[in-house]
Amino acid sequence: MKLWVEAGILISAVLPLVRLWRGPDLWDRLAGASSLNVRVALLLACEAVLGGHGLLLDVALAYATLGFLGTVLLARFGERGER
Amino acid sequence: MIAQVVLGAGLALLFLGGAGLVRLHDSYERLQGAGVGDIGGATLVLVGLVLARGWGATGGVVLVLLFFLLFTGPIATHAVAKAAFVRGVRPKEKRS
Repeated sequence: MKLWVEAGILISAVLPLVRLWRGPDLWDRLAGASSLNVRVALLLACEAVLGGHGLLLDVALAYATLGFLGTVLLARFGERGER
Repeated sequence: MIAQVVLGAGLALLFLGGAGLVRLHDSYERLQGAGVGDIGGATLVLVGLVLARGWGATGGVVLVLLFFLLFTGPIATHAVAKAAFVRGVRPKEKRS
């Protein structure tokens, strides 16, 4: 069960990478980056629970926090002024 | 059994949100697709993880991560959409 769940999350992480690579605008790249952050946090949680590494769950929590802060700060920065 | 069904549904929602993020036509439509896919996929995958391994030592932290993602996903989507609207991006009126 661990193999196909983590492989599915990894393959679904390719699609936000495509939007991050060729978004025509800053906002599309921000949407792709936020979506990629969620998938990486889910992958860390899956490895922590299904693989037995309990420490990675705290890493996933910290990663989700920092990804959210990065997305909101970049959005506020792009709203404020020059790109 | 039910854990695998829930995990599979979460993976399907993650793929659906990613496809919406790639295939839709407008910035706001892409934001909506990404937000819905992320929230639904994260909820179903984390609930499936709790169902798969039981209410052990890690279930509480998984639920904390779930509530954190449930709170921060719409906030991030709203921040990006509001920034795009303030900077002058308008949704397309009509598409062929």
